[in-house]
Amino acid sequence: MSNSLSKWLLFAFLVVILFSTLFPMIYMIVLSFQNPGSFSVDLSNLSFTIKNYMTVFKSNNFGRYFFNSIFVAVVVTVGNMLLCAMVGYGLSRGPNKITWPIFLTAVAMLMIPLHVLILPIFQMMLKLGWFDTYMALIAPWLVSPLGVFLMKQYIDGLPVDLEDAARIDGAGEVSIFFKIVMPLCKPALAVLAVQIFLTTWNSFLFPKILTNSSEMYTLPVGLALMQDPRSSDWPVTMAGSTVAALPVIIFFLIFQKRITEGITAGAVKQ
Amino acid sequence: MRTRNKILLFTTPWIVYLLVFWFYPICYSFYLSLTEYHLLTGASQFIGFDNYSKLFGDPVFITALKNTFIFVFGTIPVTTILALVLALFIAEKIPGHRIFQAAYFIPSITAMVVVALIFYNLYSRDGYIFTLCRMVGLSPPVNGFLQSESTALLSIMAMDIWVAIGYYVLIFLAGIKSIPVELYDAARVDGAGFIRRSLNVTIPLLKSTFAFVIVLNTIRSFQVFVEIFVMTSGRPFNSTLTAVYFIFDKGIARGDIGYASAAAYLLFMIILIFSLIQFRLTGVRRNS
Repeated sequence: MSNSLSKWLLFAFLVVILFSTLFPMIYMIVLSFQNPGSFSVDLSNLSFTIKNYMTVFKSNNFGRYFFNSIFVAVVVTVGNMLLCAMVGYGLSRGPNKITWPIFLTAVAMLMIPLHVLILPIFQMMLKLGWFDTYMALIAPWLVSPLGVFLMKQYIDGLPVDLEDAARIDGAGEVSIFFKIVMPLCKPALAVLAVQIFLTTWNSFLFPKILTNSSEMYTLPVGLALMQDPRSSDWPVTMAGSTVAALPVIIFFLIFQKRITEGITAGAVKQ
Repeated sequence: MRTRNKILLFTTPWIVYLLVFWFYPICYSFYLSLTEYHLLTGASQFIGFDNYSKLFGDPVFITALKNTFIFVFGTIPVTTILALVLALFIAEKIPGHRIFQAAYFIPSITAMVVVALIFYNLYSRDGYIFTLCRMVGLSPPVNGFLQSESTALLSIMAMDIWVAIGYYVLIFLAGIKSIPVELYDAARVDGAGFIRRSLNVTIPLLKSTFAFVIVLNTIRSFQVFVEIFVMTSGRPFNSTLTAVYFIFDKGIARGDIGYASAAAYLLFMIILIFSLIQFRLTGVRRNS
């Protein structure tokens, strides 16, 4: 009796937290459909207009931000899938005495706070002439310590027999990697892809410091700079926010399992 | 053996990356911190540790550091405890636990810029949170939460806890799942209720998960930036100025690269020391 009562209390508590978690997201969506110029959602006078979405895409180069975000996220994700799988394979199958210290560098880099890289990478991009180009947004992120870590751990668990058999049949190392190892890595690659895509899509600090023209902004940078507290049109800002956030949320709901695996991959490996 | 060495070539991308985008910047940044270097003039001069001693006498930097510490030590305990409690609840297989788990996670996959914009609106004068406080009889600062020196940082901290919880719930749940079921069954046979089971079985076994959560959250929280950039730019009166915002403002916005690099390095050292202390305290050894 008391047991089921406490279960209900627990349930109620979780529902309250659920509401407070989802409320701001719902608020964003509802506000994005209110009349232009509104400051917040007036429950006694709700409106529904898609004008704000049209405004956001017409002004501010928003279509360009959207394209940049997708382009950068896709290239970085594909790069990581290919390159981290290569490195993971090398680390897993190469001579242990050499690969172990290399693997440890990747683990160490996982722990390095990124902010120490802001100024030197900013400088580097200026010197290379890559500042404010796609190169600056893409090149530094094509291989990630997280990806190296994930792929090495995964490939360690794959049997070597298939590769050896192919070697005896005279297959070259490159074709063994592409024809045998890569296909077996699909589950780990999916986890990695989702993780890298999300991080890149949402990232702000580096795209902000490495670009300075509206043609090169990604969605988060464009959104942040669109917002001027004194003169901003909130429904338009929220329409932009919804465009940036909703695809990710839908993506998450579809690939929930993979995303969860990616997040916890580092955590439970102890 | 020869094939093994050939396979080693596959690690080239990482070696290149490690050297070009990690090792070189980390070293170069240290060198920069020992110079007087302005982006506009381009003139650079080696000045040893002068930037560091200048930092300790810079009240703005001290404020930034103080705010960062308040942020880190204010949010981490709350986030950790709330996430743990929620994870323990969800692990009880309450009806709909999958939905809770997924919904709690949504804020942490949403871009921080978006979250900050939404909360900027909610925290403003006549925004929803502002009005709610009025309704329950509190008197919020007249111009809004982010405009008052006494509430701005606290408001951003509260938002950050809200964002982070779902992520750590997930990590705690993964930790809980890795605990052998037999231990629970034994506790159940002994008649232990939820609270006793949690205190005596689950929590002690989550030691390494705790270490992971706290270290990860420390590294992240010390680098708080986006929220500040979007919501306050460090205002009012530097009350929300954080260390990374200081580095950004001095280095990128004002071009004082040498000085900002010293600040970046100092923060790096602080984070490193804290991570090491936490690893020691939680007794986690590096595993092979």
